[in-house]
Amino acid sequence: MVRLITHNLLACHVKGCTANNFPLEFKDVQVVLRESEFNPDFLRGFIPKIDWAALTGAARQLGDTSLPDQLPEMLDDDFLKTLHHVLLEIHVEEGIMICPNCKHNYHIANGIPNMLLAEHEIG
Amino acid sequence: MAPAVTSTSVPTTLLEAYEATHVHAIYDRIALHFSSTRYKPWPIIASFLEGLEDGWVGLDSGTGNGKYLPLPLDRPGRLWTIGLDRSRNLLQIAQLAGGTEREVVWGDVLGSAWRHEIFDYAISIATIHHLATPDRRKLAVEKLLSAVSPNHGRVLVYVWAVRQDEQSKRDIPTDPASSGSGQDVFVPWVMSDKTQVFNRYYHMFEDGELASLVVLAAEGLGLVVGSPSETAGLKGVEIRQNGWERSNHYVELRRWQT
Repeated sequence: MVRLITHNLLACHVKGCTANNFPLEFKDVQVVLRESEFNPDFLRGFIPKIDWAALTGAARQLGDTSLPDQLPEMLDDDFLKTLHHVLLEIHVEEGIMICPNCKHNYHIANGIPNMLLAEHEIG
Repeated sequence: MAPAVTSTSVPTTLLEAYEATHVHAIYDRIALHFSSTRYKPWPIIASFLEGLEDGWVGLDSGTGNGKYLPLPLDRPGRLWTIGLDRSRNLLQIAQLAGGTEREVVWGDVLGSAWRHEIFDYAISIATIHHLATPDRRKLAVEKLLSAVSPNHGRVLVYVWAVRQDEQSKRDIPTDPASSGSGQDVFVPWVMSDKTQVFNRYYHMFEDGELASLVVLAAEGLGLVVGSPSETAGLKGVEIRQNGWERSNHYVELRRWQT
């Protein structure tokens, strides 16, 4: 599955593509929503690693505008439940992720992103 | 009687094609049968994952059927381990490891499709022994070290050993010419119907070879090897465990900076 938790960690790794290579842009996506168990302790620990602008931008590309533009100071349960939904319940099953810098296309099929590159393309 | 493990020699060029034929294509062919034989987590790996903190994210580089993705079982969902593998057929199994949806990525352990040093931990179990040269195995360790936090990143690596335990059914041929640098071998995989045998390439590690590889990889990244230094402004990696169990060598590493 490509959920936004994974998307927030992925970056383009084409040889020489080392700046502006994150976040990848979604295109032509098919999205499925599926509930998953809410784990506030996981979320509190993970929040410092989130690139917030990348997360809200990607969520908007998938049609979800529930997150605030800035990470709130108060991490109450309502906010954590919204974050949980955006990070872990929106599954991109099919589509493309495009590098904002070199425009390399990474395809997603059956929920599995293809991040393979030919050896000569790897940095 | 299972077919024997046989010595092989690795070509000097076209290594990617060699691994594609003798490793990747085979795992795609044997995925279902292979997965049915790989379900029990090894205790040292389970205990490593149990020791990690809530909210941490990790990379399982060479996840296979994803058997480590659900761990730790007593705190489900408190860690997120993302599984990476070269075999798409194994990933389809890993996607549902433990009966819950997992995050998996089709990729190569020599790639680095991630934000630099973004993970809290990385494991690579029974994977880098499928890379065909010392340079490629060193690069795989460099990629693991660069995937994790420079402050607290933890890494666990397992590889097969030339030194097999008493219960092992395998007799590893030893080529005296390669003494001290491990053995390149083909290990047969017999399909359950017994009609097909696939020879997978392995580099079996000599005693001490895995730790030496870590030292070379750390040097390649400009990391000091040892416990955290008193001197400010240094980056390093500590080898916390360097062991052998049940026919495997393993190392547990921790990154630090001052």
